[in-house]
Amino acid sequence: MITARQLPEDAIRARAREGSAAIFPDVAGYGRSLFGADVDSGIDELDRARIVPPVFVPRRLEKMFDLAREPVYGDVGLSTVLGGFTAPSPVFLCAFGSTQVAGSGLGIAASEQAGRLGMPMVIGENVVPMHGYGRMGESVEDGLLGRIRAYAGAVPDGLGGVVVQQSTEDADAEVWNLVYSDPSATELLETGRLAFELKVGQGAKPGLGGMTVLSRTAAVEVAEQYTVDEAFGRDQAMVLRSSSPGTFTGEILRQQIHLMRNNYPRARAWVKLHPGRDVGEAARVAWAAGADAVTVDGAEGGTGWAPSVFLDQVGLPLVECLRRVGKPDASLLVSGRIWEGARALKCLAMGASAVGLGRAALLAVDEDATEGLVRLVRCLELELRLLASALGKYDLADLTPDDLWFPGSSARTEHDG
Amino acid sequence: MTGTPDAALPPGTREHLTSPVTQAALRIQNSITAGTREYLGMNGFVELQPPLIGPVTDPGCRGAKQVDVDYYGHKYKMMTSVILYKQASLLAFDKIFYVAPNVRLEPLETSTTGRHLVEFTQIDVEVARASREEVLDIAQGLLRHVVAHTLRESKVDLATLGRDQEAFTALLEEDFERMTHREAVSRLQGLRHGQSADAEIDWQGERIISEQTNRPFFIVDYPKGSRGFTDGESSTEPGVLRNFDLIASDGFGELCSGGERTHEYRRLIERMRETGENPAKYAWYLDLAREGLPPSAGFGMGLERVTRYIAGLDAIWQANAYPKLPGIATP
Repeated sequence: MITARQLPEDAIRARAREGSAAIFPDVAGYGRSLFGADVDSGIDELDRARIVPPVFVPRRLEKMFDLAREPVYGDVGLSTVLGGFTAPSPVFLCAFGSTQVAGSGLGIAASEQAGRLGMPMVIGENVVPMHGYGRMGESVEDGLLGRIRAYAGAVPDGLGGVVVQQSTEDADAEVWNLVYSDPSATELLETGRLAFELKVGQGAKPGLGGMTVLSRTAAVEVAEQYTVDEAFGRDQAMVLRSSSPGTFTGEILRQQIHLMRNNYPRARAWVKLHPGRDVGEAARVAWAAGADAVTVDGAEGGTGWAPSVFLDQVGLPLVECLRRVGKPDASLLVSGRIWEGARALKCLAMGASAVGLGRAALLAVDEDATEGLVRLVRCLELELRLLASALGKYDLADLTPDDLWFPGSSARTEHDG
Repeated sequence: MTGTPDAALPPGTREHLTSPVTQAALRIQNSITAGTREYLGMNGFVELQPPLIGPVTDPGCRGAKQVDVDYYGHKYKMMTSVILYKQASLLAFDKIFYVAPNVRLEPLETSTTGRHLVEFTQIDVEVARASREEVLDIAQGLLRHVVAHTLRESKVDLATLGRDQEAFTALLEEDFERMTHREAVSRLQGLRHGQSADAEIDWQGERIISEQTNRPFFIVDYPKGSRGFTDGESSTEPGVLRNFDLIASDGFGELCSGGERTHEYRRLIERMRETGENPAKYAWYLDLAREGLPPSAGFGMGLERVTRYIAGLDAIWQANAYPKLPGIATP
């Protein structure tokens, strides 16, 4: 056997042995593992950044004027308005899409806990085409309606909201029309707590549409709508199902948003972008066309299935997306490996209005189906309060990039000259 | 309007069908369809029988869900409008019309507008190589003819309903005003109604503006982003659609929508994406367009809406024998 130490020999041999199955993560893990960029892939500048409290804290003095006492971390206000919804903290539940992990009851448990927290919740694209809606004899359990009901039954008055995604293939199932005219969504609609999210792309596979792994029998049922590919080999029980990415230009995005606002005047309009190199321009087009929120999923994001090369090498990291978008005068929601307060605060300091929990939320619900997500969010909220108060800031809107230090950035010295 | 008691909801089937109001309204509707066939027949139109189901239907209906049909394992739709078939039919004849039943699962909020039925009928007209202005003339001529025909043929029924024939004097004598969407928006904003400049005139706005006039009028030039892909975009004013609505006077609201159609293959693909549609499902229609569809213009006039207007009814369900209101399960 020959060797070639200067090349990744094992990977090359795997491709030679397995064919196209080798460009994906191990299909045996599908349904149990959540996918996303490798923690060690070196793109996560945001994790390496440090939060840097100053010595002098004029805003703490301002807060002391309000309170007539020394402010403490409990005085940090977390309540916010994001994408038109009132939320107890700048955190929302990301879409899980139709990934099998989210379909196995965890989606419902996460919805119920998100409702209890009053945190806005996004329901992923393809849930209706893949799991059904939950009407006319379909199983309510995995369907869209089951998730909406679980959420609506738990959410306190005046808080939160449900966001329903639709992508190009969903348009065939008319997900938005279905929800907009369903009696179970009426209360959310009447209290201004229903939004629709136009899915332009996603972080885990920028430039591709959604992907899931299906059994051959399940694939037959959706073959009219999706591309089905024997990517794992003809002898495998599982096949790859792909959505198209959808074609967008500035004009197409602008007009789709106008039409959303025209057709669903009582629902909020959200737009989800993948971490494309023109993410700043796309976000500005969306806001100018009337989007209530733009969600940007960094290249670190993702729960579903993606080719390894996309997980490792495609798309801008979240921090670079934040730089390209800048701090907008509008709702900018971000996601991508968020699970605790520091990363959340760094995103807010870089201009985000709120952060989304995706894989972390699924893990938390998997750990404890009744309290896991609630506890995870409470931890994040407490850390946010501690960190913001350390920065001498009691309103999260006051956070700025100055609150962060990135390794390698030029040192700011006060005694120069 | 007549002030019929409790116009909010239809009564039971027996009470509705035996009501003198229903009977008068349905006889007036008969007169309207007869007048329609007379006018369009005189003007060289061929009446075709409308298809009821197809692989796709008109997607341009705000917030309304389509009805799925299991067609030997293929997902078909009930017609929300026959617009795609109207364009295709011009391959056979230059001037066609349908009296076409449509089904739209409208949003629940429309159950109280007095103007929305889930199941309704449209007088669907299409003319090859016509401009919008030419079909505006046809729509005006058709409505005038139908009103004159009905006033002549349905005197007793109109009297039963207390409809004052004077209400139609201006309609019969003066041309219908044509205002742009932009003008309608600024008129509404002047009346302190918060109308969006990017969207269709909302239902309340339509009622307000229609209360200001003594005869029907056209709103033309809707902005792109307020209508489906079939509405043609101006070649000289990007972002402006070559379309129109016909609005009745006295608060009766929209009777008819139409305009020039998108018919060129590449423009259809672009406009489909701009309206969030997946071109793949329109394969049969796009195949025709790729080989060539004639440019055309046309409109769909709501039969029950015209009946309500001419008969002066409070609610649209009074103009239908088996009314289905959004969200309400009735026979």
